[in-house]
Amino acid sequence: MTKIIVNATHKGGEGKTTNSIMLAEYCALIKGLKTLIIDMDPQANFSGRYIQMEYDPAYRGGKIPAIHPDFDPTTDHEWDGRSSIANIFYGEEVIPYPTAISNLELLPAHSHKLQEAEAVTKNDVLEKVHLQLKRFLELSDVRSSYDVIIIDTPPSKGPLTIAAIKAATHIVIPAQMEQFSIEGIYGMLQLWKQESYYRTKDNQIELIGILPNQVRDIKLHKHFLEGLKMMKGVSDYVMPRVIKKRAIYTEILVEDANPKSIFDLPKTNIARQEYEAACQYIMERVFTYGKEKSFSN
Amino acid sequence: MAKKKVFQISNALTEGLEETVTAAHNYNGELRVEIIPLKKIELDPENPRDLILTFEDLYNGIDKGDKNYLRKLSEKNSLLSLSNSIKDQGIINPILVYKHGNKYRLVAGERRTLASILSDKSDIQAKILDSKPTELKISLLQWVENVERKDLSLWERLKNLEKIIYSYSTGQNIPLDEITATNLSHLLGCSLPHAMNYIAVLTADNKLKTLIQHNQLKNLEKAALLATIQSQSTKDTAIEACLAGATLKKLKGILNQEKQSKSILKQPIILKGRGRQATFVNLGTTKKVQVAKLIIDSILDNAKVTHLKPHFSELNWSDYKSINHAFKQLLETLEQIEA
Ligand SMILES: Nc1ncnc2c1ncn2[C@@H]1O[C@H](COP(=O)(O)OP(=O)(O)O)[C@@H](O)[C@H]1O
Ligand SMILES: [Mg+2]
Repeated sequence: MTKIIVNATHKGGEGKTTNSIMLAEYCALIKGLKTLIIDMDPQANFSGRYIQMEYDPAYRGGKIPAIHPDFDPTTDHEWDGRSSIANIFYGEEVIPYPTAISNLELLPAHSHKLQEAEAVTKNDVLEKVHLQLKRFLELSDVRSSYDVIIIDTPPSKGPLTIAAIKAATHIVIPAQMEQFSIEGIYGMLQLWKQESYYRTKDNQIELIGILPNQVRDIKLHKHFLEGLKMMKGVSDYVMPRVIKKRAIYTEILVEDANPKSIFDLPKTNIARQEYEAACQYIMERVFTYGKEKSFSN
Repeated sequence: MAKKKVFQISNALTEGLEETVTAAHNYNGELRVEIIPLKKIELDPENPRDLILTFEDLYNGIDKGDKNYLRKLSEKNSLLSLSNSIKDQGIINPILVYKHGNKYRLVAGERRTLASILSDKSDIQAKILDSKPTELKISLLQWVENVERKDLSLWERLKNLEKIIYSYSTGQNIPLDEITATNLSHLLGCSLPHAMNYIAVLTADNKLKTLIQHNQLKNLEKAALLATIQSQSTKDTAIEACLAGATLKKLKGILNQEKQSKSILKQPIILKGRGRQATFVNLGTTKKVQVAKLIIDSILDNAKVTHLKPHFSELNWSDYKSINHAFKQLLETLEQIEA
């Protein structure tokens, strides 16, 4: 069965996008898995790493995906040549973009269309938004094309994040070990709990855990991490891997970066080792059925 | 020398995180809603009904020869407006059913089910339990659902809790006043301090309860703190400060001034009667069947209930469960007679 991993927390700057990138490249480059990535964040950072994004002429500051490489204006009359994940909310066709990494395909963001979905408040429409991504990912065409689907979400608890959680089989919460970040964890645990109430026992959304990110060697971070590890029940969900704050994780995102991926670095590189260990942990959890997990209840 | 700095995640946040995880473990899958065919739903023959209208009456039409024809007809008419709204918008709250063979037995939502049949629907949204729920389970489910609703007042939550504690106490045969915060925290899937707060508020005096009832006191932590103040004068000061909008911290300050150092909030609290209005009588337990028989027989001698005697003649006096059940029914009958 296709695994669907969502990176979520409603605070910005925690590492959702970074972790989505690392996981996607780990799955495609290291594990050779057929991987689909989905960008639900109107800011479109995740998309921008893999395809050209253009400024939306209609909405200032908004981004839209570039023309799809398969688009042929002489034959495609019904299609404007662009496709984004937001199309699912408009009943429009969705066509994944290839990326420079074979095995890795992308359904990019479309700022304005995603913002419209995020702004929905009317109850009946809201319910549709919540379930739309799940419905789309349940299509057998989608399932049979990919081993893993990785979703990046906006920094909110709104309809787009909820839609991603409803669609997911697994959830990862990247978080800095700081006050507002811990509150962000709380918000996400609430969504996870809520979702778990409504799913059948054999189809639960599995919380892989909190991934401490941008950790520095300071007391605050150490104490908060220890604090989390001491909490009853919560401690089971603090990942035994930690990502430190390192310039390389940001540098690698620059357009002409060399190497392009953290996984192009030599195996001895400490940053690669660190993130690879985290990705390995996450993917092992994803692919072993959650039964052997023991909860210290 | 400067004190070494220690950074801590606040108690409130810790509590919130712990509660959330525990609740997720305890209740996953409990609120799942599925769409099931109306044809597969049946009434639970053991549950008392308000209506006499049956599903068959709606599917096949009410038989004119039925001796209850007129009553059934009026019941059917009383469902029309609900049925119209279901036609337009579907049902708002899913019904609650449990699995029974390849059918579903109804726990809650009889009118919604009948009205859906009436509106020619073929299926209905339902929460499905794996087996017949106890009273306790039903009130717990209500609790889980309600705590998700932020618009529920503290008073409404307390009322709900009283039901839970009462069904737990009768179900487990534990006297009410022996139910601890630990029991409650396990039941609700909440943290111990949180459960302690609830118990403190449940045992609060009438003055506090009235404030809560009128929504003047909305915050659980504050209410719990006030409830545990021993000295009446401190309590009055604190209540006044609270109504004037004092923060929890400030209230704790008032308390500390009065050196209430052994704050009850720190020890496990037992749901003791002190100041709390008891709302029911617990008739106790016994291991001796002869004693139970003596009590039941004596009651059955009372003219008001002697007609029930035949029902008890077949009671299996060697089975505690049947005796409990019979006695409970006897009590319920008496309550109806005296109502
Ligand atoms: N471990 C890290 N070390 C250094 N910089 C990081 C690390 N993780 C994330 N960043 C940087 O922090 C910023 C926010 O991260 P991002 O992944 O975009 O967060 P989010 O998607 O949650 O908003 C980005 O500029 C990113 O490059
Ligand atoms: Mg991001």
